[in-house]
Amino acid sequence: MSLFRICRIAGNTFLEAVRQKFFLFLALIALGLLGSVLYFQRFDFGSSELKFIADFGSGAIVFFGSILSIVMMAQLFFAEIENRTALTILAKPVHRWEFLAGKFCGVAALLGVFILLMIIVLGAFLYYRESQIVAQYAELFQGRRIINYVGLFVFGWTQWLKYCVLISLTLFFASFSNTNLFSVVISFMVLIICQIQYVAIEVVTRMDPSWYTWAVEHVALIFPNFQNYNLLVPMVFSANAGVPWSLAGSVTLFSLVYVLVYLGLAVFSFRRREI
Amino acid sequence: MTSTPAIKIEGLTKDFRLGLRGLKLRAVENLSFEVKDNQIFGLLGPNGSGKSTTLKVVLGLLRATRGTCEVYGVPSEKVRSRVDVGYLPEAPYFYRYLTGKELVMFYAAVCGVPKKQRERRTQEVLELVDMQHASDRRVGTYSKGMLQRIGIAQAVVHDPRLVILDEPTAGVDPIGSASIAKMILELKARGKTIILCSHLLAQVEGVCDNIVILDKGHKVVEGKVDDLLEKHDTTNISARNLKPETLAQIRALIASEGGEFLGAAPDRIALDSLFLSKVAPSLEDTKTRD
Repeated sequence: MSLFRICRIAGNTFLEAVRQKFFLFLALIALGLLGSVLYFQRFDFGSSELKFIADFGSGAIVFFGSILSIVMMAQLFFAEIENRTALTILAKPVHRWEFLAGKFCGVAALLGVFILLMIIVLGAFLYYRESQIVAQYAELFQGRRIINYVGLFVFGWTQWLKYCVLISLTLFFASFSNTNLFSVVISFMVLIICQIQYVAIEVVTRMDPSWYTWAVEHVALIFPNFQNYNLLVPMVFSANAGVPWSLAGSVTLFSLVYVLVYLGLAVFSFRRREI
Repeated sequence: MTSTPAIKIEGLTKDFRLGLRGLKLRAVENLSFEVKDNQIFGLLGPNGSGKSTTLKVVLGLLRATRGTCEVYGVPSEKVRSRVDVGYLPEAPYFYRYLTGKELVMFYAAVCGVPKKQRERRTQEVLELVDMQHASDRRVGTYSKGMLQRIGIAQAVVHDPRLVILDEPTAGVDPIGSASIAKMILELKARGKTIILCSHLLAQVEGVCDNIVILDKGHKVVEGKVDDLLEKHDTTNISARNLKPETLAQIRALIASEGGEFLGAAPDRIALDSLFLSKVAPSLEDTKTRD
């Protein structure tokens, strides 16, 4: 029953998000940007150009995915609070954690669709250029492919997990903050910390152990290291080596732990929030 | 009808913390009352009197600082206390991108109405609130009156025993208001218990069995509407085509029996009755309850 209610709330959240112009606008821009990559062909033949296309596509996913994750999660959560639809739904036999889980799943599904769309389009562009290049330099490649397309989808999966972590983090901030803007700003700041926290870790690992290095190492655990999701090369350019499934598995586990922790914190903080 | 009260509130106090220093604002203090099954209960009071806070505690949206609140014997902070409760919030906003039918179907699903019954129940409540004609329109295009009616539909779609209506007629014209009053009476006829929060006192008087009046978080009046409004030492006599000399005789008779004649004036109808009789005659009879 709980699962069913969560699915209904998630479905409703997804529908609300899809019917908003913001999502369609960003999705179209992202796809347009991705499409423009075919005009950048003044590079060396072979993997360099394909690497550029993949990097460009991955960059579009990172940029627009981050914006979508944070803005949509905060916006869809605060729309419920400010429009008082949360009041109506929580006055039904719905647990608060079910409400939060539904919101989370709805936004996660939205990001799933976005990333899937981006990966399919990116894959199509890569296949198109790769086929041209392989045909043009048939002797050099001898029928071998450069891109691992299964790996491309696994890469998409890991990116989706990254955004699930980001969504849960934004939901946690939204669960106690009073304004949409505050949640968005804090979430973007934490996103930056997550992107660059590895620098702090690298610095302290070169220092002599002390309470300071110990503290930095442990505080860093609060913020997931988003460098763990930089998997484009091992996943996509591993046509000969196969997909590194163990790496995908460890990233999945890593993400699951952070999602559960942040969702747990969000539920704890939302438990007694006065609506 | 059950012997367990629909709502039982005992010694309810609710404080809100204000600002970082944690200053307290007491919204409700030591409130106790019961709402019996299958009655229309009016919760009245000026703005800021604690009505909405009390309702939110009943709905488990707020936790009591002190005291207890039970819904059909289940503490209101438990989610299962809301299984048999429908709620229409004040000035309701619903998901604007859904159609009226999608909205009611969504709430039916959330409330656990089985899939096979969902469509039928949705049609039934849309008919009850007379919204079938607009059920395929997006909620964002509805007028205030339509929003209130679709709000009542979502509140009763799971066939709850207790229906809480917070200002169901706020911003609604007299026709919409009379139509909502008619719906409330129909819900009672179907065996529901209704809690009505409203500033339209004439409407409350017309439909409610019992009332509680709150002021600054305290209960100031509680009882049956008829008992509270009836003047036990005064009798009204209404007559048609009375001659002046007959009136003089009646006056003399009252004086001879030791009574006091208080006045005689042409009878009047209420303005909203006149309005409804001219604009929506079918709703006019809802102004006066048997």
